[in-house]
Amino acid sequence: MTEDYITMNRSDNVLIIGAGLAGMKAGLLLAHAGKKVYLVESLPLIGGKVIKNEESFPNLECSTCMVAPVQQDVLQNPNIETLTHSAVEKIEGEAGNFRAVIKKSARYVSMTDCIGCGMCFDPCPVSLKNAWEEDLGERKAIYVPCAGALPNVPVIDPDQCLQLNGQQECSACADSCMFGAIKLDDKDETIEVDIGAVIISTGAETFDASKLPELGYGKYPGVYTPFEFERLFASNGPTLGELTIRDSEKTPGKIAIIHCVGRQQVGYCSSVCCMYSLKFAHFIKSKLPDAEIFNIHSDICLPDKNYQKFFNKVKESDTTLIYSPSPEESKVSQNGSGLKVVYTGADGKEQHVEADMVILSGAVIPHPEGSSVATIAGLNLDSYGFFEAGKDDIGSVHTSREGVFVAGSAEGPKDIQSSVIQAESAAGQVMICLGEVNR
Amino acid sequence: MDKKVKKEFDPKIVGFLCNWCTYAAADLAGSSKMEISPALSVVRVMCSSRVDHNLVLTTFFNGADGILIAGCHPGDCHYGEGNYYARRRYALLKKVTESLGLESERLQLTWISASEGNRYAEVVNSFTEKIAKLGPSPINCRSDL
Amino acid sequence: MKAKVGVYVCECGPNIASKVDLDRILETLPALDEYREIELVVKKYGLLCSADGKNYLEEEIKSNGFTHLVLGACSPRDHNKTFIGVCKKTDLNPYLYKIINIREHCAWIIPDKEKATEKAISYLRGGINRVLYQSSLFEKQLDIDPDVVVIGGGIAGIETALSLAGEKRNIYLIEKSGKIGGKSSRFSSLLPRQGKGLALIEEKIEKVSANPFIKVFLESSLESIIGFLGNFEIVVKSKNGNTDIKAGAIVVASGYGLIDPLSSESHSYSESDDVYTSLEIEEMLKEHGKIMTKSGKEPASVALVHCVGREEKGYCSRICCNYMIKIARYLKDQSDAIKVTEFHKGLCMPDKGDQSFHKAMAERGVEFRRIQKITQDGTKISFTGMDGSPGNADFDMVILAPAIVPSEDTDSLAELLEIPVSETGFFQEMHQTTDPVATSIDGIFVVGAAHSPKGITDSIFFAQAAAGRILTHLIPGEKIVPEVKVTEVLEAFCTGCQNCLDVCVYGAISYDESKGVSVVNEVVCRGCGNCFGSCPSGALRTKHFTNPQLYQEVREAIR
Ligand SMILES: Cc1cc2nc3c(=O)[nH]c(=O)nc-3n(C[C@H](O)[C@H](O)[C@H](O)COP(=O)(O)OP(=O)(O)OC[C@H]3O[C@@H](n4cnc5c(N)ncnc54)[C@H](O)[C@@H]3O)c2cc1C
Ligand SMILES: Cc1cc2nc3c(=O)[nH]c(=O)nc-3n(C[C@H](O)[C@H](O)[C@H](O)COP(=O)(O)OP(=O)(O)OC[C@H]3O[C@@H](n4cnc5c(N)ncnc54)[C@H](O)[C@@H]3O)c2cc1C
Ligand code: SF4
Ligand code: SF4
Ligand code: SF4
Ligand code: SF4
Ligand code: FES
Repeated sequence: MTEDYITMNRSDNVLIIGAGLAGMKAGLLLAHAGKKVYLVESLPLIGGKVIKNEESFPNLECSTCMVAPVQQDVLQNPNIETLTHSAVEKIEGEAGNFRAVIKKSARYVSMTDCIGCGMCFDPCPVSLKNAWEEDLGERKAIYVPCAGALPNVPVIDPDQCLQLNGQQECSACADSCMFGAIKLDDKDETIEVDIGAVIISTGAETFDASKLPELGYGKYPGVYTPFEFERLFASNGPTLGELTIRDSEKTPGKIAIIHCVGRQQVGYCSSVCCMYSLKFAHFIKSKLPDAEIFNIHSDICLPDKNYQKFFNKVKESDTTLIYSPSPEESKVSQNGSGLKVVYTGADGKEQHVEADMVILSGAVIPHPEGSSVATIAGLNLDSYGFFEAGKDDIGSVHTSREGVFVAGSAEGPKDIQSSVIQAESAAGQVMICLGEVNR
Repeated sequence: MDKKVKKEFDPKIVGFLCNWCTYAAADLAGSSKMEISPALSVVRVMCSSRVDHNLVLTTFFNGADGILIAGCHPGDCHYGEGNYYARRRYALLKKVTESLGLESERLQLTWISASEGNRYAEVVNSFTEKIAKLGPSPINCRSDL
Repeated sequence: MKAKVGVYVCECGPNIASKVDLDRILETLPALDEYREIELVVKKYGLLCSADGKNYLEEEIKSNGFTHLVLGACSPRDHNKTFIGVCKKTDLNPYLYKIINIREHCAWIIPDKEKATEKAISYLRGGINRVLYQSSLFEKQLDIDPDVVVIGGGIAGIETALSLAGEKRNIYLIEKSGKIGGKSSRFSSLLPRQGKGLALIEEKIEKVSANPFIKVFLESSLESIIGFLGNFEIVVKSKNGNTDIKAGAIVVASGYGLIDPLSSESHSYSESDDVYTSLEIEEMLKEHGKIMTKSGKEPASVALVHCVGREEKGYCSRICCNYMIKIARYLKDQSDAIKVTEFHKGLCMPDKGDQSFHKAMAERGVEFRRIQKITQDGTKISFTGMDGSPGNADFDMVILAPAIVPSEDTDSLAELLEIPVSETGFFQEMHQTTDPVATSIDGIFVVGAAHSPKGITDSIFFAQAAAGRILTHLIPGEKIVPEVKVTEVLEAFCTGCQNCLDVCVYGAISYDESKGVSVVNEVVCRGCGNCFGSCPSGALRTKHFTNPQLYQEVREAIR
């Protein structure tokens, strides 16, 4: 470590962008070491993608039980300032001496006054699709993304709120709030903070299946993306966990799960899709024991000591595993009241299965906001669009800018374990970067 | 016991809930404003494994009509394996309660995760119904605890 | 002294006030006969968790001089910490306070106001009785030793040492063999994106020798260990005697081994066959600069067989697909004329650069054959294709990718360190997904291939993760504050049966031979209470969750 770090105005604070499991874990470690942490999250809730899953592979643990204590620890930690519904707009300076500009979008509900009782939802006259629930459920213009969201404080969607979009005078929610927590005149706020190091943990998204029109996503209600299915299955989700086909009451009898969707397009294996596809098969069996399930796969990637055991379990549970050299080239079409999936079989010939529900196990792709974060933070992306780390080194969380680190699926597709590992690694590198104090 | 008395019978049930999963589910059920039987009183413990035979038996001896022990799903215990121990102790306790002349259904162990608010409500309500049908506990040697 | 209990019920705006008759609570509780002996102050307040509410409460505690405090409010999951914070500003010990959840457990779930009120009163009575049975608990601060012992000098151990060593932290690196570097230093080169040759490994090895804060013990092993997080005492056995070391944390990086291919029924060969394991090929190339058959010729055809022993072991070794493609490249670089066939059972290439490497080698003519089953006898291979059709072929050379297995010392280390081993034989992490570098013993971490099969990149990440944990938790000169709600042994009751020892997954309980009783290490115990149920003599007591305390709640519940 060079001496230059120990300058008089060096800042010990840390900025973490993205409050998924990676961001939260890194934040907790640094807060424990006494660092002041600014944890910026663009959504109104923290927790990231994992809280969309009812259960996580390989041990099928309840994700909420796993993540909620972490969320609570983050929110209650005096060293962590959690800024939800916020965005980083600028990062200037250099390692040890950054200055960041953070925009806190108006929430229209006071974080300190609101107690999360939810009395304000019913009176709101505006109903619309809930994007956090993958549009499978409804919400009001004032809402929390899901039951149990943390922080448990609603947010008003200014584009949809009648008062705020100027369509009509309304204060129904504010009138129903006994705590005067709703501030319809709330304004965006910009703050500037001094920080010594930055961790990027903005996570990832899944492949847009409508780019492969043959798979019928968007065309047939029975075709689902992976996160749609996660929410459909979740007991705190829009159907309270009841597996019914979109826009109907119908329970699917036959379900096809197509692996590797988008793998050829993105050019890498996403390392989690096989496992979550197998998890889905298991989910369905647990609720619909009589359902017929077809996992149409090519390679099966089980990169952990405990993954094959889960694979074997699913294999034994009379789920039909179908090998296809190119599952992503399958075609989904209408077949009477159900669907038909045509795929290439092991012998190279076309085969098909009938299904009422088709789940497209999409590749994990860079978060769409990644490139703008890269621009703001002055970072390079790799050829796939993930944050580049350790260009001339292996096993490194250092980005192309000194003092800025990356952790979790922002760096590339990974399971929770590897995301947490990188988070802990990044926390350690931040400690080192912030100075000699600790070594 | 005739039907009338049975109807009026309000069972007294103690629910030992683990802090990490089931207690959180109870919170979720509450914040979702689900209607839940007041017959059950919640006692929070850190882990289902904390519920030992003394606690269960003393609770029965003092007149509880039913006891629900609820924790994290197998594999999910915050402390690794606590719920496996709870399950073993439960199997033993079932036998002990039977030998005391208590219907074994009066003791129930179940797993409810933090996101299963509605399941929590269902479990509590159906357990209350079951106990109400069984009527008051045959043992009550209320001592001063 | 007469107890003076403050009871404050929160209106929570209309949330509690509209569903529970708070005034009736205010009337009922003080009038109860059972509270004759104590002084009871019962009040209600609008919103206790608000800034005003907290100030109000603080003032009330101070001015009334309460000995105990009960709040009827929301879930402890929401605001327990808030009110503990308030108590801490006063003289009231926070363990003499209790929050009673009359919102989630009464107001919000019982529509009938009268019933909800009765329930709230019952809960509050339980709470009042319980606090009277609670005791003050005090946080302790413990000195720590920031030094770290690393077991195993492979890439994982090296990276751990490099990330941690510094002026205020010495690292003791214990290596069994005569040099550090581990398996990776035996290779010819690394994967394409891992730099040229072994440069990355060699650089790190040099950095270790140059670092004055890393002490390397070669041809050494762990002899004994006692202690706990922050305060371990270790004895290292070397050729020229034993060394005593004090350290705050231990990182296990003892690496991996390879399964013997002959232990699998599908594989057979003899010394004279041109059949090699992957590691033998790496070493051959490193030593001789060429891959040659036993008769000294360049092989015209080579079969690379993946997943050897995978079925037997029950897991995928994660790195074989990758390094087998690397070996295919060795062969193609040596001569494009060599016909290379890879027999695999589905390629597992979980890192983002892997696929393009695979593609590039496929373009250079390496044939990738996905098969269901394979048997190998010498250089003869017979297989079943994905469509069920059989096939067989003979090659000049066969290279096997044996399953990665735990290093031979895993079990003995696990026993010494008292950490568990998983079903697969590797060390068991504290939690599969959310706590993968920790073990069940606080302060002992496991990294690299000792944790599970992994490549160098992931081994380094694990090493840095352990370093991250240590850098943020064992800060030189600072103290650690262990959990206070822990279990204690009442020595007079303990019969020394030692039932409790196995129950504790954290290894918090040990047996004191001299006294003939068990001892709970307060620093290690997390207060789950599991051991409590295993003690036939009632000798254990889990603080803040004692049976007398819980009985108070139970008693009101069944009144
Ligand atoms: C369908 C599916 C199922 C899965 N199931 C499992 C499983 O069962 N087990 C398992 O181990 N793994 C599973 N995974 C992988 C797991 O989801 C990831 O490992 C994990 O989410 C990574 O955590 P993270 O914190 O890196 O990213 P995320 O969880 O994606 O969190 C990133 C956070 O950053 C926020 N953010 C993004 N951009 C910005 C910005 N510009 N400013 C501020 N905040 C921003 C996001 O809103 C989000 O909250 C699954 C993945 C998929 C796709
Ligand atoms: C043929 C082959 C090729 C590979 N190629 C690549 C590649 O190109 N790129 C890549 O990323 N990965 C590759 N790998 C994987 C790579 O070898 C591992 O990721 C890496 O070696 C793991 O490092 P480690 O430090 O955890 O374990 P090891 O390298 O096994 O080191 C463990 C060290 O601990 C010592 N030790 C063991 N027991 C004790 C004890 N009781 N006390 C003290 N010391 C002890 C050992 O002597 C050894 O020095 C390859 C693996 C194989 C088999
Ligand atoms: S804004 Fe008001 S009504 Fe809405 S949840 Fe918060 S406190 Fe309740
Ligand atoms: S003011 Fe806006 S958010 Fe509030 S009730 Fe009216 S439309 Fe809904
Ligand atoms: S189980 Fe109880 S009596 Fe036996 S050793 Fe442990 S504390 Fe002592
Ligand atoms: S309370 Fe739990 S952690 Fe503590 S000694 Fe007992 S079993 Fe171990
Ligand atoms: S912590 Fe919930 S059962 Fe152990």
